[in-house]
Amino acid sequence: MLRRRAVAVAALVLLAVGRASAHGGSLAEGVREPLTIPTWLFLSTGGAAVGASFLLASFVTDRSLIDAIHDWRRSVPVPARRILVGILRALGVAGLAVVFVAGYLGPEEPRANAAILLVWVGWWAGLSMSAYLLGNSWAVLNPWRTIADLLPSLDLPYPDRLGAWPSVLGLLGLVFLEVVSPLAENASLLATTVLAYSVVTLAGAVLVGPETWFGKVDPPARVFRYYGRVAPIAADEDGLRVRLPGTALSERRLVDGRDEVAFVVALLWVTTFDGFVATPAWADVARPLVSAGLPPLATYLFGMLVGFALFSSLYFFAADLAHRSADTFLTPAALAERFAPPLLAIVAGYHVAHYLDYFLGLSPALAEALAAPLATREAILTLPIPGWFGGFSLASIIVGHLLAIWVAHAAAYDLFPGRLQAIRSQYPFIAVMVVYTMTSLWVISQPDAALPYL
Amino acid sequence: MSEHDDYHVPPTESVYECEYCERPFAREELRALHRGLEHASALDDEEVEQFRDAHGGEDESLRLFRLKALAVLVVLYFTLLMIYAVV
Repeated sequence: MLRRRAVAVAALVLLAVGRASAHGGSLAEGVREPLTIPTWLFLSTGGAAVGASFLLASFVTDRSLIDAIHDWRRSVPVPARRILVGILRALGVAGLAVVFVAGYLGPEEPRANAAILLVWVGWWAGLSMSAYLLGNSWAVLNPWRTIADLLPSLDLPYPDRLGAWPSVLGLLGLVFLEVVSPLAENASLLATTVLAYSVVTLAGAVLVGPETWFGKVDPPARVFRYYGRVAPIAADEDGLRVRLPGTALSERRLVDGRDEVAFVVALLWVTTFDGFVATPAWADVARPLVSAGLPPLATYLFGMLVGFALFSSLYFFAADLAHRSADTFLTPAALAERFAPPLLAIVAGYHVAHYLDYFLGLSPALAEALAAPLATREAILTLPIPGWFGGFSLASIIVGHLLAIWVAHAAAYDLFPGRLQAIRSQYPFIAVMVVYTMTSLWVISQPDAALPYL
Repeated sequence: MSEHDDYHVPPTESVYECEYCERPFAREELRALHRGLEHASALDDEEVEQFRDAHGGEDESLRLFRLKALAVLVVLYFTLLMIYAVV
């Protein structure tokens, strides 16, 4: 039996790796093997693991221990900070220039094109990973921020009631574009998209000022900022501040207002949607809709919005339930804010599972392409990833969940005076996490299908 | 959103308000616990006594909760073990 189980685990591992070939990863070869255990068992095991880790966390009721873990921090001064920041900013702008030059003039083969490799392998996979594993460097690297700071600004007032909603729409819009268009294969299309994004971003920054634009509206800046909150390192006035990974997520006011909660849920949803569209189930949903006369693009948009509505209503429903189960006068909205940051740890875990082997496999190609952006190549240099390496993918999903459960636990203890009350407040949110986990595992367990109608 | 907007007390509910920070609580023990945790240095003897009582009462129910949680964990573990043995 043990051996059989080992085979089952290995299959899960392979599946987790296989999914890495989704979209951005349409460059990489996926490994896909059928599950050796029934899907329902695979899903229940995943769900049970999340539930069990909540029960284990609930044994920790010592407030001083939780506080000690979450209050631990060290400051590290950074020498020659201004020079370092200047170098990083210049690197960011140089990267943007590479995307334009290689995008329009570079080789057509996607895996030899520096623009495609830099955007998908370097930025979307690599820099995102560094953002939640180490710290958010995009705040400094962001070339649009560097350019916008040099431009004059009209500093028009930004309407407060818009809040983070434009960035929620922007995130959904950008991921929609990534799913439905060949942005990972067609370099000049990618460069044109980046150009369009640059025009919108710089115009916006000039209108309302870079601080407001990148603080409220710009979706990538918000994604990286949120990823950075999972990370152990953060920048402050004196230098760098080091904390234990994820412990910053339990802080008050990290996510403020329904709009910012919606952004966190949207980030979780788009990670799922990206894989969902490559499942046969999506093809089964899309076909009847398209034959009924809905245009294919509208079908994808419809699928994306319905899924987002489901994910967010489920989350806000959980906040309502928690309001009751905790016996508190705190509003459901306040609870929704406090329990949203843990979801970021889950998102980070899935991101590693999707992109780690993709990033490592193609990073030699990226380095080679950056060394000579316009050269055409016969052979693409890739790093062969051994099968056992997929274990890291599965482990990262588990670690993400464990971290999320711990952070929710710490937030509940910070919020409620009663220890049992703090445990009860988490029930609905844990149930939601179980549902999210099982959804993602289900997506992972599905065979890879070509995206219908694209 | 300020800290104050986070609370909403329905007019029909009985409410126990903290005398130090005006936070509302649904039960007297929760207020006693809150006072002990957040305003420990300001409390008089009676409030300290109330905190001790509430804390002790909670220990009792926590013990019971832990037993139940342990039972659920054991059941979960063996159920999965059985299923994996059969499937």
